[in-house]
Amino acid sequence: MSAPSYRSAAATPGVAKASPLVIYGAQRDIGGQSQQFTIIGYDVFGGLGGPEHIVRGRAIEAPHFELVADNKLGLTLGDKALFGTHYYTVVGITHGAVDSGGNPIVYLSLPDAQEVQFQQDNRALVAARSANIKRLERAGYSSEQVSRLLPLLSSPGDTVNAVLIKLAPGADANAVAGNIRDWLYFNVYTTGEERTLMLEGRLSKMSAVLGLFRVLLIIVSIVIIALIIYVLTIEKIKSIATLKLIGAPNWVIVRLIMEQSLALTFASFAAAYGLRELIVPGFPRTLVFLPQETAITFLVMLGGGVLASLMAIWHALRTPPQLALGG
Amino acid sequence: MPPVLEVDNVSMTFGQGELAVQALKPTTFNVEGGELAALLGPSGSGKSTLLLAISLILEPTTGRIALNGREVYNNGPTGIDVRAYRRQNIGFIFQQHNLIPFLTARENVALVMQINGTGRRDAPRRATELLGYLEIAHRAESLPANLSGGEQQRVAIGRALANEPRLVLADEPTAALDTERGIKVMAMLRKIARERQSAVIAVTHDHRMIEGFDTVYRLDDGRLARMLLNNREPASIAS
Repeated sequence: MSAPSYRSAAATPGVAKASPLVIYGAQRDIGGQSQQFTIIGYDVFGGLGGPEHIVRGRAIEAPHFELVADNKLGLTLGDKALFGTHYYTVVGITHGAVDSGGNPIVYLSLPDAQEVQFQQDNRALVAARSANIKRLERAGYSSEQVSRLLPLLSSPGDTVNAVLIKLAPGADANAVAGNIRDWLYFNVYTTGEERTLMLEGRLSKMSAVLGLFRVLLIIVSIVIIALIIYVLTIEKIKSIATLKLIGAPNWVIVRLIMEQSLALTFASFAAAYGLRELIVPGFPRTLVFLPQETAITFLVMLGGGVLASLMAIWHALRTPPQLALGG
Repeated sequence: MPPVLEVDNVSMTFGQGELAVQALKPTTFNVEGGELAALLGPSGSGKSTLLLAISLILEPTTGRIALNGREVYNNGPTGIDVRAYRRQNIGFIFQQHNLIPFLTARENVALVMQINGTGRRDAPRRATELLGYLEIAHRAESLPANLSGGEQQRVAIGRALANEPRLVLADEPTAALDTERGIKVMAMLRKIARERQSAVIAVTHDHRMIEGFDTVYRLDDGRLARMLLNNREPASIAS
């Protein structure tokens, strides 16, 4: 939508403030490596949509050439990043400012973000300009008219992706949304609708994909643990036969195997958890592990560990005690 | 006092009909407390089968078995808990010691005590005392792999004695040992029999050790065929 349309939204009854926002994905060389991130351009002079969790430095205060970046990008205060033809100085660092895909966010002023998004290189600009001139001349415009009309045909740099709205106290969100929808013909989402859209859309699909991988990994882990426990039990079959021969009840043998299996499960979960804690901070994307998901994974692994020992227990219980006799 | 072990017409037949094989013919003998008895015989003669029958690991086909005067088998199960019967009344000693390799000597002995209900605190203390009795307490913390064959066998004897059984069954206890260590183990078995008034029955091929037994039974083709007397009269024998 065109940038000025935020003014129409601001004039809607019940709206306290409206701000234009630009948001798009980008990939640039930062710190010597190609990194994926999302650029957000916002009105740095009191507009909505700016960085909220600045852990070092400050927010953008100048209209141009300053940026605030998430710490995942590895930038530090005072660093300069080249986007297009300009260098932008890092004035603030956020923590946990990521898009729905977990990519870090870079905040720029609105005009800077628009420029980075729409800027063309010189050859492209010259080619577009000459094409527009030819088109206007073919249409019969004079040189003077062409000079006047040409800026109107230049790059569509003054567009925004969204307008953020802050409601006036007591305003009904649904009523305001309805007004904007009916009179300005924009799609409108309340905060709740936007959250649902994100959670049920992209995030739920990503979560489902990750969940599938997790289930597959757990199954593979359980199979591996089952095989290890089975092999360890086969190795100890004479000891098991001895225990049976001297009169150990079955529960003693079951407990020994189960303890072994659970110890292995605990160890593998602890190793995976430790590895995750070690790797995740350095991972280019922000990954969120909910405590309840970790707990469920642990419980599933625990159940898997018990399941993994069943084959070994079955074999152990069928072992004849007389196997302990002889050489 | 009744004999520790009474075996009366116990036989064992494997298979049925034309395929039936009588591995142990009807056998009768008693072993008293303090007696050290040997079961001698070639491979396949029925020695191990007799041990398995006495310990009710294999159910005899016919006959009666009593331990300390209590009938544990009489032509069929008498309703006793067979594993508890073994755990509480019989100590086993094996040819290859069969110690649990990932447990120390003390833990190997204590485990059997714990299985029989001794507390987690008492069992290690009592296991250490028992290892002291067998003169191996100084190796209590060693894993079986770090013990010599003789030391392993002493720990295995300790395990067999863990629950103070009246009957000790030994399967080739000296076969894996050299003569010197074999003699020491025999002396230990004799000491156990005498001091604890336990009945000890050892299956053996080891003719070097025959002199150490009070009674020697010989099994041939499942028949307790001969009896060699050593130092004293046996309780009884018939076959």
